[in-house]
Amino acid sequence: MALAVEMTGISKYFPSTAVQANRGVNFSAESGQVHALVGENGAGKTTLMNILYGLHQPDEGEIKINGKHVLVPTPNEAIHLGIGMVHQHFKLIPSFTVAQNILLGIEPHKYGLLRQGYENDMVRALADSFGLPVEPSEKVSNLTVGMQQRVEILKTLQRNAYILLLDEPTAVLTPQEADEFFKVLRNLAERGRTVILITHKLPEVMKVADQVTVMRHGEVIEVTSISDTNINSLAHAMVGRNIVFNKKESHVRPGEVIAEVKDLFVSSNNGAAAVMGVSFQVHKNEILGIAGVSGNGQNELTEAITGLREVDKGKVLLASLDITKAAVHERRKSGMAHIPEDRMTMGLNLQTTLDENVIVNQYRQKPYSRAGFLVAAAIRKLANSIIERFSVASAKTGEGIATLSGGNLQKLVLGRELSGNPHFIVASQPTRGLDVGSIEFVHKSLLDASRSGAGILLISVDIDEIFSLCDRIAVLYRGQIAGVLSAEDADEQKLGILMAGGNLDPAEEMTQ
Amino acid sequence: MDGSNGLLIVDLLRSGIRLATPILLAALGGAISNRAGVLDFALEGKMLLGSFLGILAAFWLHNSYGGALVAVLAGGLLGWIFAFFYLKYKVDLVILAIAINLLISEGTVFFLRTFYGNVGSWTDASIQQLPDIQIPIVKNIPVIGQLLSGYNAIIYASWILTALLYVVLFYTPFGRHIRAVGENKEAAKALGINVARIQYFALILGGGMCALGGAFLSIGHLTMFTRNMSNGRGWMAVTAALFGMNNPIGVFLASLLIGVADALAVRLQMLTTIPPMLIQFLPNVLAILALVLVGLRNRANVALIRRKFSLKSQKISEDGKSEAIS
Repeated sequence: MALAVEMTGISKYFPSTAVQANRGVNFSAESGQVHALVGENGAGKTTLMNILYGLHQPDEGEIKINGKHVLVPTPNEAIHLGIGMVHQHFKLIPSFTVAQNILLGIEPHKYGLLRQGYENDMVRALADSFGLPVEPSEKVSNLTVGMQQRVEILKTLQRNAYILLLDEPTAVLTPQEADEFFKVLRNLAERGRTVILITHKLPEVMKVADQVTVMRHGEVIEVTSISDTNINSLAHAMVGRNIVFNKKESHVRPGEVIAEVKDLFVSSNNGAAAVMGVSFQVHKNEILGIAGVSGNGQNELTEAITGLREVDKGKVLLASLDITKAAVHERRKSGMAHIPEDRMTMGLNLQTTLDENVIVNQYRQKPYSRAGFLVAAAIRKLANSIIERFSVASAKTGEGIATLSGGNLQKLVLGRELSGNPHFIVASQPTRGLDVGSIEFVHKSLLDASRSGAGILLISVDIDEIFSLCDRIAVLYRGQIAGVLSAEDADEQKLGILMAGGNLDPAEEMTQ
Repeated sequence: MDGSNGLLIVDLLRSGIRLATPILLAALGGAISNRAGVLDFALEGKMLLGSFLGILAAFWLHNSYGGALVAVLAGGLLGWIFAFFYLKYKVDLVILAIAINLLISEGTVFFLRTFYGNVGSWTDASIQQLPDIQIPIVKNIPVIGQLLSGYNAIIYASWILTALLYVVLFYTPFGRHIRAVGENKEAAKALGINVARIQYFALILGGGMCALGGAFLSIGHLTMFTRNMSNGRGWMAVTAALFGMNNPIGVFLASLLIGVADALAVRLQMLTTIPPMLIQFLPNVLAILALVLVGLRNRANVALIRRKFSLKSQKISEDGKSEAIS
């Protein structure tokens, strides 16, 4: 079969971060196939695709499209060459209609005026010809995430993209939406389009791809067809060692209630109700997962529990102490730790030193503070012990932390939050954007903390993470708990139904 | 209603239209910048530059239309400078606006003092006010003729610009690109739209329109320049742009409302014994009310979108359920 894309000897060095993102990479994709490009975060796969799309220029190497040498200096040139990219974060204009978004920049016009009726017809024809139905006159802000993604794909197809680059496309979808999406990809491949799927989720690679290229540390490790490989060998190639993808086993029996949320109501920034009557308990030695598609009230729930947002109604109890209205530092003093979702802006202050970062949660306490003054020696000792215990690579006391990698930054947050042996840990998306090695480390740290007696509330949109850590799983849907499952009962199918707002009872009846 | 009351109202509206014109022009300029995603707080300074250079150029060129043209060009140049510092050096918009407003208000005073030895105001007997123009046919229609005819060229220009901008923004590809850039710069960029060029264009055009509004004050309404002549009208224009939802028609109506309130305030001062400071405050109260309304509307909109979205996702989940069952 003909090669749609052939990249040879691609190297790219980023001087600002001193990272060799690609080192002599050879990558090729056949037309009419779904080609998965997998690797951990930081393996260089996004850089490689950005080079193909003209967002970066390679230091070395050459690119052939359909057998012809090309230069791709800009995304415009890439579009011209028939390459389309669907970015991880959608690039849509919310107040525009579907048709206006798809035709943005290539609007049909007559006497200098737009032809809005004709635009809708054009888009409807395009959508029908690819079997991707959309309503052209619907505003994009009214669409679900899955439909918005469809609009993004149609945008590239309208520009005659024969090679589609998709960057982590399933991150925002429910399992059911993802399955629907895979059908779309297969369908496109059957129509002769080349689909390049950037991902680190191996199960979906096995489900949808024909070929797979594995990258690690900026180099290609393995190129194989899906029929010749399996998930474990891909994982091994990706990480360089064996990774266990299993459900959590061997539970410590949960102890008494550590924290409790009673009939909690919380509003979002615009005043709308975001959390509506949520109740749950977290026990000693237990990890309770809050699963759900993002935007169903997770942020508001987390902020209400950790003291960052006012509660409208209901109670938050910590070891039977009512902390509903307590200040953040009072909550922390009572044994609560918080691993926030965004380590760069909430978890850490990148403008200051490591030492200051490790004591922000306890700088008022002895031995770090005496008579209103900070005690440098004690702080340094704490910093060193965190660096050592949590193996924060290339970090030094007294120095800035802005240059540390995401994984090391998160280890620093973990170190700070866990070093005081908290009773109750609220962890929000603790592994978002981390490489597999760091994810493993974070997971192990949380498991250790739960074994040694802490109760943990884990809020995550990553189902694999929920499965591998949690003893019980609660699904949040539109501000309410749609259902609570024990780890033994839970599977992807059931979680997916709950996450989409479905009800388990009828489904269970059908399976019986 | 007897005839004299009717005349009073026509007179009030005519006066309101005159007072609204500088605000309308600056607000249209602000609206187009807002649409392109640049919140422009330097309308005041750009107007003042137009007042100042408009009358000076009218004096040098012995032609008031020439004066207005020079003002527009200078305003466009100032808009370009604003855009250059914002787009090239990423200067914060608020800081940039403060700098430009201060520079123009102090610069005009400095210039007046240095070259004309004068601080408060400046005029010359040779300067001609822009003449009023009667529109044939229309002028003979009762009431409407009195309302629509007999203004100077800048007032007519402001009406034409309102209509023109409306068509450009909502019915041409270029206008759609402007709105796209304002709403999601990254999305527009990813599709090959030249974001910087659109923002340059909007700011240059906006600057020119502000300056035309300013020139109306010094050569259209009066024939003199006084220190700080724009006197807060640029800020009223910021309000009018927001109250009019950055839609040229809305901006026109918002400006007209402010203009009529202004005219009313002037008349009330003459007719009543209410302290004049209180009455002069009327347009400002109106502006604050307008902004409160804008704020409330935005909030209601968000709530509405949310409700629609949740209804929709409810429907989808029901579909999902039936799929799961089948």
